Amino acid sequence: MGRVKTEKKKPFIDMTAMSDVTVLLLTFFMLTSTFLNKEPVTVITPASVAEEKVPEQNLLTVLVNPDGKVFFAIAGDRDSTYSSEKMREAILKNAVKTYNDTHSKKIQLTNEDVKTFGATYMYGLPFAKLKEWLAMPLDQRDKYLDPSKPEGAGAGIPIDMNKDLDKPNEFQIWMRAAYNTDNDNFKHAVKTGMGVAIKADASTPYEVIEVVMDNLQTLKMNKFSLMTALKTEED
Amino acid sequence: MAKRGKRYSEQKDVRVDFTPMVDMNMLLITFFMLCTTMIKSQTLQIALPTNEKVDKTEQNKAKESEAITILLDSDVDENGKATKEYVYFYEGIPMITPDGSDSNLQESEFLGNEDGAARGIRAILQNKNKDVYEKIVELKAKWKAKEFSKKDEVNDSIYKAKAKEIRNDSTLTRPVVIIKATPHASYKSVVTALDEMQINNISRYQLDRITHDDSTMMKPFWDKRGKK
Repeated sequence: MGRVKTEKKKPFIDMTAMSDVTVLLLTFFMLTSTFLNKEPVTVITPASVAEEKVPEQNLLTVLVNPDGKVFFAIAGDRDSTYSSEKMREAILKNAVKTYNDTHSKKIQLTNEDVKTFGATYMYGLPFAKLKEWLAMPLDQRDKYLDPSKPEGAGAGIPIDMNKDLDKPNEFQIWMRAAYNTDNDNFKHAVKTGMGVAIKADASTPYEVIEVVMDNLQTLKMNKFSLMTALKTEED
Repeated sequence: MAKRGKRYSEQKDVRVDFTPMVDMNMLLITFFMLCTTMIKSQTLQIALPTNEKVDKTEQNKAKESEAITILLDSDVDENGKATKEYVYFYEGIPMITPDGSDSNLQESEFLGNEDGAARGIRAILQNKNKDVYEKIVELKAKWKAKEFSKKDEVNDSIYKAKAKEIRNDSTLTRPVVIIKATPHASYKSVVTALDEMQINNISRYQLDRITHDDSTMMKPFWDKRGKK
């Protein structure tokens, strides 16, 4: 039969245009992205109509999980004199000094330990475990901060309703150490209320938050912000 | 010269297969998309009073007619997580019958708006703050029509300054809202209550601790809910 024999040829699709598009998208994402910081617990913040954005610099985030475990994270200044790493290192030295002054069990940290702390975004363990924790490899350190893992049972910075600043609790030691770095921009942010943010899960009982708020009040950090998600007035 | 011309004619159309390149790019895009945060969190500013002991006489007492107290409470599941939220409120001072069975405490809800009209606790607060709220609504209309300035930024800043002026205008009757949360109340309900202050343009509000009277007043409501 007179069947038309089609010439079999390997189809060649020109991918150049496609490649152009993907490179463009890739560039966009690379430039606009700010990486998610690793947090030991996931919290879903409640919603509010407040439109003010969370600052990226000079921010002390206090993360509270529903069980009342407290963690904190430091974001330093844009200026490299007080970059996040340097801020954290200064805070660690400051805090350990206060701890050693008020407790009989002293902590001695090596330069290596301080560097490790500087590279960690979020911290939340009692001082007693600090040294041991800093010597661990990275994956182990993550596990010890995560309360859902068996290793993370002791996670969280010890906090209570202490009002006596001569005998500060561990949370107060850390907060004061953060405030007492020489970073004036951070100090200013704390004074205006933009420097300290509480990030807590919507289902957290108020008693847990109240302890944190009370501690901040005792430390005279009366102005602070609460991290929320956006909603409209109609909701 | 002639040799060169010949070389040109020999050149073939070079086709580079970009498929692997596209594959790789897609992979990278996926990675970046998953690892980035597009939506940034918002912050709600609050200022608490100092913890230092203040002389009782120095504390300015809220006028009875202006005061409204909101009590927040939640049901909790066995893990200690808040499940359902409850809102109670009373105006002025607490009034309880001697046996504690009845009081001026009323139940309400966080409902939000429906067709632009406030409901639940928002309607009550809005009504209390009527003077300020009406002026703000007027101002908002002007802001939307860009009456202050054609430039968006200038328009916004003038609006914000004027709104602040109205909120803090002591010649208007403005309520004082006291927000109290029980230990079990969820953080969400506290934030929602603080948020209602922003929505209703209430400038005078505070977070306070629950008192014995408050718990006594809530008792009948707890019994109804079957809370221990």
